[in-house]
Amino acid sequence: MRGGSSNIAGVLPLFMLFIAGTISAFEDIEKLRIWPLPAEVSRGGRRMRLSEDFKLVTEGSKYGDPSGILKEGFDRMLGVVRLSHVVSGDRNSSGSNGSALLQGLHVIISSSNDELEYGIDESYKLVVASGEKPSFAQLEAKSVYGALHGLQTFSQLCHFNMKKKVIEILMTPWTITDQPRFSYRGLLIDTSRHYLPLPVIKKVIESMTYAKLNVLHWHIVDTQSFPLEIPSYPKLWKGAYSSDQRYTFEDATEIVNYARRRGIHVLAEIDVPGHALSWGKGYPALWPSKNCQQPLDVSSDFTFKVIDGILSDFSKIFKFKFVHLGGDEVNTTCWSTTPRIAQWLKKHRKSEAEAYQYFVLRAQKIALSHGYEIINWEETFNNFGDKLSPKTVVHNWLDKGVVEKVTAAGLRCIVSNQDKWYLDHTDALWQMFYANEPLENITNPKQQSLVLGGEVCMWGENIDASDIEQTIWPRAAAAAERLWTPYAKLAKSPDQVTTRLAHFRCLLNQRGVAAAPLVGGGRAVPYGPGSCLAQ
Amino acid sequence: MALNLLPLHTLLIFVSIINSALLSSADQDSHPYIWPLPAEFSSGEETLSVDPGVSLIVAGDGGGSPIVRAAFERYMGMIFKHTYGRASSLLARIRFLRMVEYDITSLNIIVHSESEELQLGVDESYTLMVSKRNEQSIVGAATIEASTVYGALRGLETFSQLCAFDYSTKSVQIYKAPWFIQDKPRFAYRGLLIDTSRHFLPVDVIKQIVESMSFAKLNVLHWHIVDEQSFPLETPTYPNLWKGAYSRWERYTVEDASEIVRFAKMRGINVMAEVDVPGHAESWGVGYPDLWPSLSCREPLDVTKNFTFDVISGILADMRKIFPFELFHLGGDEVNTDCWKNTTHIKEWLQGRNFTTKDAYKYFVLRAQQIAISKNWTPVNWEETFSSFGKYLDPRTVVQNWLVSDICQKAVAKGFRCIYSNQGYWYLDHLDVQWDKVYKTEPLNGIKHPSHQKLVIGGEVCMWGETADTSVVLQTIWPRAAAAAERMWSSREAVSKGNITLTALPRLHYFRCLLNNRGVPAAPVDNWYARRPPKGPGSCYAQ
Repeated sequence: MRGGSSNIAGVLPLFMLFIAGTISAFEDIEKLRIWPLPAEVSRGGRRMRLSEDFKLVTEGSKYGDPSGILKEGFDRMLGVVRLSHVVSGDRNSSGSNGSALLQGLHVIISSSNDELEYGIDESYKLVVASGEKPSFAQLEAKSVYGALHGLQTFSQLCHFNMKKKVIEILMTPWTITDQPRFSYRGLLIDTSRHYLPLPVIKKVIESMTYAKLNVLHWHIVDTQSFPLEIPSYPKLWKGAYSSDQRYTFEDATEIVNYARRRGIHVLAEIDVPGHALSWGKGYPALWPSKNCQQPLDVSSDFTFKVIDGILSDFSKIFKFKFVHLGGDEVNTTCWSTTPRIAQWLKKHRKSEAEAYQYFVLRAQKIALSHGYEIINWEETFNNFGDKLSPKTVVHNWLDKGVVEKVTAAGLRCIVSNQDKWYLDHTDALWQMFYANEPLENITNPKQQSLVLGGEVCMWGENIDASDIEQTIWPRAAAAAERLWTPYAKLAKSPDQVTTRLAHFRCLLNQRGVAAAPLVGGGRAVPYGPGSCLAQ
Repeated sequence: MALNLLPLHTLLIFVSIINSALLSSADQDSHPYIWPLPAEFSSGEETLSVDPGVSLIVAGDGGGSPIVRAAFERYMGMIFKHTYGRASSLLARIRFLRMVEYDITSLNIIVHSESEELQLGVDESYTLMVSKRNEQSIVGAATIEASTVYGALRGLETFSQLCAFDYSTKSVQIYKAPWFIQDKPRFAYRGLLIDTSRHFLPVDVIKQIVESMSFAKLNVLHWHIVDEQSFPLETPTYPNLWKGAYSRWERYTVEDASEIVRFAKMRGINVMAEVDVPGHAESWGVGYPDLWPSLSCREPLDVTKNFTFDVISGILADMRKIFPFELFHLGGDEVNTDCWKNTTHIKEWLQGRNFTTKDAYKYFVLRAQQIAISKNWTPVNWEETFSSFGKYLDPRTVVQNWLVSDICQKAVAKGFRCIYSNQGYWYLDHLDVQWDKVYKTEPLNGIKHPSHQKLVIGGEVCMWGETADTSVVLQTIWPRAAAAAERMWSSREAVSKGNITLTALPRLHYFRCLLNNRGVPAAPVDNWYARRPPKGPGSCYAQ
């Protein structure tokens, strides 16, 4: 691991005896079986056994866990650790075979605040000692959300011993100091092209936590359907595929809460003015005309009143700092061919391109008025970047080269270049997902700091409840490590991490997530019988 | 809350009156969205609201069973998944009762037998009534009555399918009430095979499969545990056997297997274990190479050694403690005896006994059958055993079809029981079989005599695992397994008459979306090839 963590041994003299040293060779890193790879790791050569009543203790923690986020996270962690096998061995007698008892986890959180704010400290330090006597593992974090990441790492250290039928942690003592490289590590889901039932979205969120992703970008609405209830404009969800392929306002609140309790932000998107045909099912006045239905009518104040209503309703449930306003792929033909709008353009001396700019900027102002900062797809920057609000985050999807330009212009950026990070591109292999570097060609530290992170996009044209998990996983995990792990510790060649990623994929399978084989493209089926680890 | 529970016969008389009054007027082409279709049902024109805090009221000797209580909790979770805080719904009810009065505030479950024994042919019948509580109705609310807890589970599944979340009122509604449903399965054995040798399926995934089976009222999980490729199950008597697992991760302990059996029983599903001998057993020799004819010729199991049968006996003794189901599958298919011919010590043994290789195959299967019978098991064997030496099989043998379409016809003519699994229709790994082909195939085809028909105990869809692992197993099973499930549950008349594009397809679309809504990744119904992604954007009900 290219040096770096030698200081850890120094602060833990008690465990010096068992520490084999910080991990230096790449083969050793690959034996760690932790995904994504933590920033700094040292380990030893002993083992501990989890006690039957493995406990959570929080003495000395400043965090009171008022709504049970930590306790729930701890219980979920134990749940997945115990999911794959019945623990029936003798778990409590002191080790005659040299494995000492781990009685529980001592979690110390130094901040009492559990608002899930963007950029919150997600770091943690996990120490699993290795004494002769029963002891507790130690998890320290600034925020409860850092502690949740620590719990995920802890779960990956656990291992079911098939002979003794107990859960063990091998290679103790462990000291892991960890924090993410990027603060924005996203996954997009698309509930317009296909409706995704609530349990499916929850399962996607749960699986994101395993890979330490932290933003669910919810592309709620598009041309095809409008599934979400908007109390201010109650006819909008008439644009749903059917009366029951819908989300109530309470459903959306539930999704946000479910995600928040797992440290995951929900970024809501309405994609205007281009991808919005379904809005007009409830309010045909939003269409340029009955037979030319997209983009939204730029000439009508009603259009912006509806956007204002939607964002006003959004602000009650989507508490993330950002809202996504889309702005991509706007074909303005309907504006120039609809007489009413053509006249309006003429009156206001606007070209179609200027009307597009006018629309996006006006929508931005509405979002700002509701307290949001804005994310827009990159076409908005490519067309009128200098006019965008300085609070805009530009979301790349076309060519990654735009990242350099956006940051040079002083705007923030999220990387999602479609050739490498679009999950619906099933010919994009996991190796490509792994190798896609957000800061490629960006050397200026100030510009680097404007790259908030990246996002893998699960567009829904061919994705429904039946195939979403295997199209997301394991490729999203490859990107997750790119976004989490320090650059210096990332493998220079993806092939170096194959074994570890295969292991993570099998771990997902054990946890009931339908992650696809590594061999083949996205969503490949196994080519024949064989071990999960080898496919 | 006072409740007058009527004895079963009163309810049944009442139902039969209603049935004769209403069934005749039912439109045959617009069946209710229930899958599989109940034996008898009638519906009305009312819409009833269901209280999110609906309470369970049990009666009868078996009503207090924890199986009933656990199922009630599961189904309430599914029915009210859009209604938040059911856990704290008491408070909500106190608040809401003043404003909203629900039509259905309690679910009565009457179970007459206290026995929780789950065996082939257990009574799965039930009666379900849903009606408004008023002066005209002698039954208030929703009532399920069954002989056994397993009948009650089937009734709960049907009840859950009547419940729909209404997005305008944000409450759960039952449309077309009052409902009177009298239901029972056509076949006692309604199976699904999974194969954990070609690919290891984690315990949680097997549980997801079992749970999904209960939605379609399937009742036997045929667990093809071991095959050539891997031996994932712990066998305490022969602890080296699971060295044949793919890896130390890809294994089931005895306790894991017992947990699967327990989980399945809670859902009224039997687990039939299989060890496929002597043909599909190469992986056994990884732990005990003596079981191979030779190091270079590893299958079938060495027929000459007592050790081979000792190991079988040990495996079965261990498995008997895990699998209480009366049927046990001994395989017996696709036995290529070349290794027996080509291995010197086996060749000599054959000559010494004046055995052909076919005689040896028969000898092996019959000896394995006797071991199973000695453990109080009824043997099930693949059809080759019947077609090769049928008259020597133990008369208790259940023959499982897979190859020849008329094998059940022949087997039942000889007095054997039979399970229908014609590979052309009911092998789920055949991806080019569409739902309608699965639906239309009839286990009793060509079997006329009622006494012969009775010997066909049912059928099974088979999810062989060569190209089905955790990532695709559920979408390869569903929705096609549901087509077979209705064929096996509903009356032959109901599934054979009329245009299935009208009678079945809309309901299957609906059931597939219901599976999706419950988190089961059932693939689009209209797929030409199974488990393909949807072709483009669209409604779940239209794909």
